[in-house]
Amino acid sequence: MGDSQYSFSLTTFSPSGKLVQIEYALMAVGSGQTSLGIKAANGVVIATEKKLPSILVDETSVQKIQHLTPNIGVVYSGMGPDFRVLVRKSRKQAQQYHRLYKEQIPVTQLVRETAAVMQEFTQSGGVRPFGVSLLVAGFDADGPQLYQVDPSGSYFSWKASAMGKNVSNAKSFLEKRYTDDMELDDAVHTAILTLKEGFEGQISSKNIEIGIIGTDKNFRVLTPSEIEDYLGEVE
Amino acid sequence: MTKAAIHVPPKGGFSFDLCRRNEMLAQNGLKPPCSFKKTGTTIVGLIFQDGVILGADTRATEGPIVADKNCEKIHYMAPNIYCCGAGTAADTEAVTDMVSSQLQLHRYHTGRESRVVTALSLLKSHLFNYQGHVSAALVLGGVDVTGPHLHTIYPHGSTDTLPFATMGSGSLAAMAVFESKYKEGLTRDEGIQLVSEAICSGIFNDLGSGSNVDVCVITKGHKEYLRNHQQPNPRTYVSSKGYSFVKGHTEVLTTKITPLKEKVEVIEGGDAMEE
Repeated sequence: MGDSQYSFSLTTFSPSGKLVQIEYALMAVGSGQTSLGIKAANGVVIATEKKLPSILVDETSVQKIQHLTPNIGVVYSGMGPDFRVLVRKSRKQAQQYHRLYKEQIPVTQLVRETAAVMQEFTQSGGVRPFGVSLLVAGFDADGPQLYQVDPSGSYFSWKASAMGKNVSNAKSFLEKRYTDDMELDDAVHTAILTLKEGFEGQISSKNIEIGIIGTDKNFRVLTPSEIEDYLGEVE
Repeated sequence: MTKAAIHVPPKGGFSFDLCRRNEMLAQNGLKPPCSFKKTGTTIVGLIFQDGVILGADTRATEGPIVADKNCEKIHYMAPNIYCCGAGTAADTEAVTDMVSSQLQLHRYHTGRESRVVTALSLLKSHLFNYQGHVSAALVLGGVDVTGPHLHTIYPHGSTDTLPFATMGSGSLAAMAVFESKYKEGLTRDEGIQLVSEAICSGIFNDLGSGSNVDVCVITKGHKEYLRNHQQPNPRTYVSSKGYSFVKGHTEVLTTKITPLKEKVEVIEGGDAMEE
């Protein structure tokens, strides 16, 4: 294939007009653990599988869903270490915005700045793109919002989206089940059912993570016992 | 152009580029400006049995003029840490804002409540880097997992750890009250009473301090910001009818009217404005 000669250099276009490194980065995302997000009428929920490499790993030490600000949370599919770097950068950008304008950063602004960072790494020498796609969930003056940011730096606002291994099944499941007037609780149930669709093994409160934000504008990760309750309701 | 992902730490310290020029100007007789907004100030803090109480007056001065009669000198650092600031108002605001932001990032990264000594170290290293040119004298207090803490920080970067402390131009007046009445194991009400007395002593005996008393009580897991807890300087003799200045109040001595001649040129068939 003519493209393969252009696949090693990030900063060179292939004849078909693609940056092959970014395609490869998207493949890294596509082989990561499934994560999804749903925007309800009164909040947003994001969730992910938390499959650990061995039963010996202390699962309480792993947290995939992170806070960026009190009212914005984020989850990823892809390479964990790349995610950590992006979370650090985004948190710092949110703080700088607050220092300058004395208001909490709006969700769109934070997404734009994070996407700009990811784009920088597709147009510089000696670096590689981030191997993660992010799902950013937030609630501000414009209401509940859900954004997906890709390794290329492009971002989209979604009503519901999924990423990672099981993306096509999950997305078709969501397309069937999503309604515009969903409440936050229904959205959590739908998220759990969607994760269950492609789950290998038994789903439990120890191998999934769920984060929600409601009209109180306080993003929080659900405790294992809260997840147990939701799982019980779904059965 | 390479935008490398290497983090280059910012060059700290003061830029001494303009010092020679300043010396030259001083030699030629130019006096440096002295009317930037300072907080004359009385700020105090004490440790009581359940935590820390901070107090401050609310007057900000610009030389001999009161610039703000009700400013806020107790600054938020973290949910469990507050900081009173004396000195140049801009410096205290900027430095407490900056460290508060750094503490928030630190809380996200560690997942833990901020400690008072962390705020202390961040503040003192910043002030030391600027060799005293950042004119901020602070009383830092809070309660964290290791217990209640109270510190004073001087503009050059030195710190003290004390059970009770005062700073600012009214510090001697306030310290006199503390030295005679402070004892260990004060209750919340006794502590607030003592802090208010110390601030009032500063308000009435120091020209640089005045107006109202602000108090902040910090205990384990809880804080109360009592803004304007005492207002010992109310505005008296305010007319309840309000003040209105009806036409005729001021005597008109002379009247001179100069009509402006309007000059309008109409150009026929000119080009239409580009849209």
